[in-house]
Order: sequence, then C-alpha cells, then structure tokens
Amino acid sequence: MVAMILAGGRGTRLFDLTKKVAKPAVHFGGKYRIIDFPLSNCANSNITTVGVLVQYESVLLNSYIARDHIWGLDIDGGGVYCLPPREKDVTGLGLYQGTADAITQNLDFLDQEDAEYVLILSGDHIYKMNYEKMLKAHIEKGADATIAVLEVPMREASRFGIMNTDESDRIVEFEEKPAHPKSNLASMGIYIFTYKTLRRYLKEDEKKKDSNHDFGKDIIPSYLNDGLNLQAYRFKGYWKDVGTIDSLWEANMDLISNKNALDLSDPSWKIYTGDNNAVPQIIGPNAKINVAYITQGCVVNGEVSHSVLFTGSHVDKDAKVSDSVIMNGAKIGQGAVLNRCVVMDDVKVPPHMKLGSKTSKNILLVTKALVSKKAEVRDHE
Amino acid sequence: MSNKMLGIVNLEPANVHVEGIDDYRPISATSFLGRYRVLDFMISNMTNSHIDEIEIYIKNRPRSTIEHILGTNYNVNSKKGKFSILYGEIQGNNELYNTDIANFKANIEYIEQSSANYVVVAPSHFVYIQDFNEMLAYHEKMGGDITVMYQSVNNAKEAFAQCDLLELGADKRIVAMSKNNGKYKNRDVSLECYIMSRNLFIELIQKATMTSSLFWLSDVVADSLSDLKVVGFPHRGYISCINSLKAFYDANLELMDRLNDLVSDNWPIYTKTNDTQPTLYKEGAKVSGSLIGNGCEIEGTVINSVIGRNVVIKSGVVVENSVIMPSTLVNKGVHIQNAVIDKYAIISHIKELKGTPDEPIYVKRRDRI
Repeated sequence: MVAMILAGGRGTRLFDLTKKVAKPAVHFGGKYRIIDFPLSNCANSNITTVGVLVQYESVLLNSYIARDHIWGLDIDGGGVYCLPPREKDVTGLGLYQGTADAITQNLDFLDQEDAEYVLILSGDHIYKMNYEKMLKAHIEKGADATIAVLEVPMREASRFGIMNTDESDRIVEFEEKPAHPKSNLASMGIYIFTYKTLRRYLKEDEKKKDSNHDFGKDIIPSYLNDGLNLQAYRFKGYWKDVGTIDSLWEANMDLISNKNALDLSDPSWKIYTGDNNAVPQIIGPNAKINVAYITQGCVVNGEVSHSVLFTGSHVDKDAKVSDSVIMNGAKIGQGAVLNRCVVMDDVKVPPHMKLGSKTSKNILLVTKALVSKKAEVRDHE
Repeated sequence: MSNKMLGIVNLEPANVHVEGIDDYRPISATSFLGRYRVLDFMISNMTNSHIDEIEIYIKNRPRSTIEHILGTNYNVNSKKGKFSILYGEIQGNNELYNTDIANFKANIEYIEQSSANYVVVAPSHFVYIQDFNEMLAYHEKMGGDITVMYQSVNNAKEAFAQCDLLELGADKRIVAMSKNNGKYKNRDVSLECYIMSRNLFIELIQKATMTSSLFWLSDVVADSLSDLKVVGFPHRGYISCINSLKAFYDANLELMDRLNDLVSDNWPIYTKTNDTQPTLYKEGAKVSGSLIGNGCEIEGTVINSVIGRNVVIKSGVVVENSVIMPSTLVNKGVHIQNAVIDKYAIISHIKELKGTPDEPIYVKRRDRI
C-alpha cells in the first residue's frame, strides 16, 4: 500500500500562521509539526512508501519531509517522496486543481511504485491511527473504497461530510455538511482505494469539464452512483482537524486536559519529529507552573498556567501566561500578561504588554505585526 | 601541512571511580544533565571544531557507549567523516594492564591509517567547552612537541584527586608533572588533553610499551619532559572532572545554571534523540530552579534538581538538590534530598532518602525500594 498525503492547502483560516509555511508544517504540541502525525502513523503502520503532495509555500515543508530518516521511512525500497505539481511531457505544467486531480497528476508515480492499494491522507489532522488494520478491513470486506469515519455528536454532524450506511457499514449515501443529517458518521478524510479501480475513475474524472476533481464532490459520488462497494471504517479515538486558530489552540489544550485522549507518551506508537539540539527545559528559581506541557529549549522564569510551550520559547520573570500556546522561539517579556493567545514563532512580546483576555470568545493570534502595532500605540499614550 | 586532526576520546584513567554508577557503564556513557551522556560534551567539542575522524576508546562494558554513539548524529559528514569505537580485547579483563596505551597499541593500525597530521587526545570524563582549533593554533605558535591543556584551579585538593599537577616555566614550558596527592588548593591541573603530531603520538605509544606495561599516556608525557618541548595551554571557563559520585552530582547541579552560557547555536551539544514527548506538569506540580528532560510527568515538588527523561514524580513527592536519571518512578509521598537516583529505579516504600551535599546518597539502577 502506498500512502499519499494531501499537503498542498494553504489553510487560510490559520491566517498569519500559514503566510509563509504550508499548514502541514505548522508546529504543534510543543515539539511536533502537524505532518509528523500522518507520517508517524504511516511508519508505525508499516507503510514504507509515502508521497506528499505539496503546492502552497512548500520550501520548508519539502526540506523537512526529505529527511525521511526522522520517521524511520528510509528503508530500502521505501521513502518519502515530495510531489509538487510539475511540468509534464504531454499535459505541460498545471497546478493541482483539487484533491483528486493531485492524485491523477501522480498516477505515473503510483504506477511506478506498483501500488495495489492507495491510502489517501490529509496533512492537517491530529490523531493516531493504525492504517494496517483499516487495510485489513478493506480487503476482508472486498471493498473498492474504505472511508474512515468518526462518530460525532449529532448536533455537530452538519459541520462534516456525513456517511449514511446500511447495517453492515456499507456506505449508501454521502452528504457534504447536510442541514438535516441522517447519521453521525463523519468522514475523517482518510480513504483506502483499490488502485486499479481508482485509476480508472481518476482517468475518467480528468476528462470531465464540469468536475471539481475532488474526492468528496466527484469521485466518491461516482463510486456510489455505479454501485461500487464503499465501506465505512469506524475509528475510535482522538481526532482533530486543526484548520482554525481556535481548533489549533483547542487541540494543544487537549494535551494538558485530564482526558488527554491523544496520549503522546505511548512508547508503542511514538510520534516522531525532527530533532534539534536545544538544551533541556530550564525552570528558574521563581517560576510557577500550574498545568503545562513544556519541551526542550524552554526557559521559564515567570508564571505559566494551562499552557503549552513550544521548543525554545521563553517566559521571563513576572510574566503571566495563561490558557495560551507559545510557539517555537517566542519570547514573553518580563511582566507581560497573556490570556487565551496563540503566540506565533519567534514573536517577542515586549515587557508588561497585555494580550488577550480571560473572557474572550476567540483565541488571539499574536503576530509580530500585532505586537509592534500595540507597542507603538502604547508609546504614543 | 594541513591542519587535519584525528580526535581521540580517551578512556578514563584508573583514578576515576564513580561509586555505584560505574558498575553498569563507564562514567562517559552515563546520563547527564537530563538529556545527554557525559561524553557528548567531548565529542561535540571535536565535531564543533570540525574534526570529522574520531576514535572513541573504551575499557570494558561497551554496550551503553556503542548504543549511544550509533544513535547519535554528531553533525559529521556521513560519507567523509568516520567514528570508530575501539577497545583492546586482550587486556580487557585485567584492570591493572588495561591502560590507554595498551588500548592504543592494540588498535595502532587505525591510528597509523589516518591521514591526519595531528592528534588531539582528550578523556571523556572531563566536561568543558573548548575549540580545539584554538589549541592547535597555540600549539603551532609555541612550536612545542606536545601541548597539554591545563587550568589554574583553587580546588585542586577536593576536585582533582590523583590528576596530574603541572609545574610551568615562564615560557609555559612544562618542567615537572606530579600526581595530585591532595596537599594543595591552588594548582595548575592537567586536563589530560594533548595535541601533538600523529607521528609523535605513535612514537610515544611505542616508547611507553617498551618502558612499562603499566604506563599510561600521561606517564610517558611526564617521562619525556626533558627530551621534548611540552607546553601548557591554559583553558578558561567551566571545567568539571567527573572522577567520583560527588563530582558527578556537583557537575549536574552546577551546570544546570550555566548550561545556556556554555551551549549555543554555534556550539551545540549533540546527543541521541529519543522521540519523547514534552513534559507534562500536572495540577499540584511545584517546580523551581531545575533542569527537566522531556517526557516527564510531574505532580509533586522539584527544587534545585536535574530530572532525566521519562521520570514520573507523583503527588506529595519532594525532590530537592538531587539528580534523577531517566525512566525513574518516584511514588506518592517520597522525600528525596541530596541523592543520585540511577535509571529505571522505582521508589515507593522508602519514604525518605537523605544524603548530604558532600555525600549524596546513591540508588542503584533498576532498584525497587
């Protein structure tokens, strides 16, 4: 089975976080990047060949995934392949038009890898999953396609793509964000396709002028129309789409909650990430820490409560950081007060600046621009 | 002549005895500062000095060292660079004859094969930061045959027992070397780090072998002071000679505050990655003045201590002025003061472990108490 990770999206709802880097390369959970999750899942599921479909701002992402030894994906005959849109002999150069088109443009790669099954993943979800088990179910049920689904609360079901199934979990209908959902089985954007069939459908889809070239909008409906065997694969466990600042913040906060359903401490299912040479975390003599997730390179001299500190971030003396996510290398100056913030990489919050509020509905994204604008206003006062 | 150096990480001399810890592995392979092994400092000094051919000598119990070196990327070109772990098989079981010279002699062909013009030999039980290019430039400027790194210390009596004391002439030439019997406080102590030409190094190995089978490299250097020009190179900055349990304990606690001054983006210390998650500070955790590795779970109180990877500290626990090595579990209500707890220990039943700063208590590897 060859895995293909869709990692080309910009993730516009993450605003400045993805201004310069693609969403899958965004940092998460103290020391990781989002794409470490699907890549580690692949490695732990004994998948050796992974294609990563990149497009938007991919320089950093490309160089990161090229270091395939990080995830142990460097064994003979396998590897992580970076697949940007590229100029081709007949069709010339074209950007990826949709999720399905991205795979269509790489059929030659899948042919060359002699793929029997193709696993389609998304580069922006946080979860741990054994794809080997899903493949087993796919084969056992003689499916043409298997879609991983998550049972979501009925009231939230209209936010997702919903699979309606019969009693044997065969999918009979697919509805994208239905106003009146008939089931609560939400698609996780994880598909296993039998390659031979998929190849034929993608080739046909390529010719259709009115197609969006999208798995959810075009390929899955065609499969259903033609009466192919589509199976729902029920996943139980933690799964989160981190497409917005609020959901990214929430997923980080989940790591310090009592439930901590993601559990990154399981030695049998490690999430691997690029190492750095930062020193261990240094907790100063006057530091106060009340519920936090802190990693190497951090220096804490102030107060940290219900927060996640990423590699190399500093919290200076008398600073108070609450319910916040402080990303890589960000420095929180002396006496600064932060509530419900996500502070971007390398932002320096000047001393005594107050950012965010305990009662705000949304999470404040703290950028360099925001900090310097606030500092300017303060200087004028 | 090119300035290529062969780096030799030497084994620890016979005067190094870190009670308890070295029953399991040489001190050089011991977990250090919550994240490293002691020898990471010396190897990183070498690779940061752009030395890409490194031989690491070990006396015996090689498992820890081999596993660690294999798993670490010390930032050396993976094609042109070369790491070798070497030991002498014949004298391996006889402590008396297991000298560094015997080990060099047993592996002489690997020293002869090297294309480097110089060797830098440094033992791994010393912890300091040094750019060896600086020392080599000094060696060339002074025009000596051998350059020996030393530091003027005021704690020779307590911290450098049985180390070599140097007597330096005005021109920095070493006129005498003697073993430190702990009489004096202020002395110039050899850090047992030498730069010389590779050819001279090979000659010294031959000379030592012919003189006495008990000779160490430092003995043959001392024996050559009148024939050769042996010059002292002053080292400045932090040093620790980890030759006892107390020294190991002190180095951990001292370096905690100084780590960020010694280590920088330009001078990183490389070590093996373990893919451990960040550390979780739970409700009720009180941590101050401490150095904490990744992967810990802390519910109790930690004061002025070094905590290794994957350590679990339950509620009601107080850890003070202590060094806790990786994967240790400290169960509810245990109080630990001035202690060194070795890896994988589980402490549940003994509710109070108290040493003193001068005599820290040691809990064995995998001990369940």
